[in-house]
Amino acid sequence: MHEKNYWNPYLAGLLLGLTLLATFLVAGQGLGASAFPKRVVALAAHEAAPAWAESNPATAKYVADGANPMKNWLVIEVVGVLLGGFLAALTAGRLKRGVERGPRISVRSRLWLAFAGGAIMGVAAGIAKGCTSGQALSGGAALATGSWVFMMMFFGGAYATAWFVRRQWI
Amino acid sequence: MICPVNAQGFYGDQWSLVTAIVLGFFFGFSLERAGFGNARKLAAQFYGYDMTVFKVMFTAVLVAMVGLYAFVSFGLMDLEMLWINPTFMWGQLVGGFLIGVGFAVSGLCPGTSVVSAASGRIDGLMTVLGAFFGTFLFSMMMDWVPGLGAFINSGFQGRSLLHELIGIPAPWLALGVVLMALGAFIGAEALEKKFGKNFEPVPLTPTGGEKVKFYLVGALALVALVSGLAGQPELVLPPAPQAAPYEPLELAEAMIRGDADLMVLDVRAETDRETGGIPGARPAKLDPTTEGLLGFAAPGSTVLLLGDGNAPALPDSWRGDLDYRYLRGGFIAWQGEVLTPREMNGGSLAEREATRRQNQIAAYFSGTEAKVESSAPPPPAPTGGGRKKKKAAGGC
Repeated sequence: MHEKNYWNPYLAGLLLGLTLLATFLVAGQGLGASAFPKRVVALAAHEAAPAWAESNPATAKYVADGANPMKNWLVIEVVGVLLGGFLAALTAGRLKRGVERGPRISVRSRLWLAFAGGAIMGVAAGIAKGCTSGQALSGGAALATGSWVFMMMFFGGAYATAWFVRRQWI
Repeated sequence: MICPVNAQGFYGDQWSLVTAIVLGFFFGFSLERAGFGNARKLAAQFYGYDMTVFKVMFTAVLVAMVGLYAFVSFGLMDLEMLWINPTFMWGQLVGGFLIGVGFAVSGLCPGTSVVSAASGRIDGLMTVLGAFFGTFLFSMMMDWVPGLGAFINSGFQGRSLLHELIGIPAPWLALGVVLMALGAFIGAEALEKKFGKNFEPVPLTPTGGEKVKFYLVGALALVALVSGLAGQPELVLPPAPQAAPYEPLELAEAMIRGDADLMVLDVRAETDRETGGIPGARPAKLDPTTEGLLGFAAPGSTVLLLGDGNAPALPDSWRGDLDYRYLRGGFIAWQGEVLTPREMNGGSLAEREATRRQNQIAAYFSGTEAKVESSAPPPPAPTGGGRKKKKAAGGC
């Protein structure tokens, strides 16, 4: 199947914004992503070491009182993201195995950097109590002060790092 | 008020989760169609030749912001019922920067990595796995790194909204942001032209369509203007903290258990304090000078005020994320109901049980021997007469 072009960024932003608005109006909260790893880690930790998971400040609140950390709006929402991303890629002819990278980097290095970046963001999402989706996008649209600080720092951090990882992309 | 819909009780948890999967579907679908399943497309933002991340993200923020505050202005949405990220200034400052670092390194964020993995990209899958590892690492760090828990909870300002900070109605601020964004979009396109000479565009990037931003910004500005003019421009202030009563016996039990998330503040006058007090209570005042002391309380923990026994008026500036309570009846009730043993006068089994417990408590706090039946378990060991220092709860 012929690969379709990406959407006009302003129209893609319009659909994304309408989705976020609908989330505010229907669910009384914003969209998020980092809740998913947080709750999966809490669940796994609780299976492996219940006493630790119930006392650790980062996992305790998800497993307190025998709660199931997976029965949560944001967790199910991320399952929806998975389905939506899959179907969008399928119908645009972009569903294929591969590694996205610049011309000057090996697949192996790219995969390690992808993992490292994910790990940094996992820690950072704990420190910031949210990630790009929950803080910058959702909190930003609700005009939350701290979320706008987050957004500015997010772009600052990425631009500050871009030069060091340029071989990966350009 | 008809929104948020889930607060109206039309449907239960199960249907709420159905809305989650539907809204998540559109979230993932629009991210993929924007090109955000492709790490190269995202990373291009930081080399200047493709500003798609900026355009998509800000357009989405504008649409949701203008829409939300339009609904609020027309009385269709109760903003108090919307969960909005509370401000923890230092965590957001440092965490935001680090998310940016991780974004440049992986080319994806936690949300877009899911889309990337869903469209078959191995690098997306590796970022998802990395995020799991980092999340686990963070929970270990909460144990290892002293002060991390306090740091991520520092700079707490509760629900701090920009338009309240500036002191203007939300639709007018939204209008300002929309107009500034138009300038930023034009600037971003100029940058793309400048840097585009040096780079090949990311495959599948659409060309043209720059006019769309004028239609979109125009429509949003109009909606913001109408909601600013027609809506009630009331500033929604965060609710002032209010205290609920707390029973003296309940407090005694909590102190015997050594509840770590309970802070007792003695807010009586100096002269009253000399007549006696509650073990472990810290002297404090019902004014902003106490905020430093409140900074030690973990979010959601209980702050019990020992005053004259009636509901106190709390300062507006006190943290909004604590459960403020006041000791019903004050110190007199504490003396009468906790420190004074009661006569065991028949009654039902439950009543006698309660009396026996009360006498144990009285003995515990006043140091006298109570008439305890032989089979009664001794009260728990003393907790050192004060609040135990606890590890900071919370986290994320």
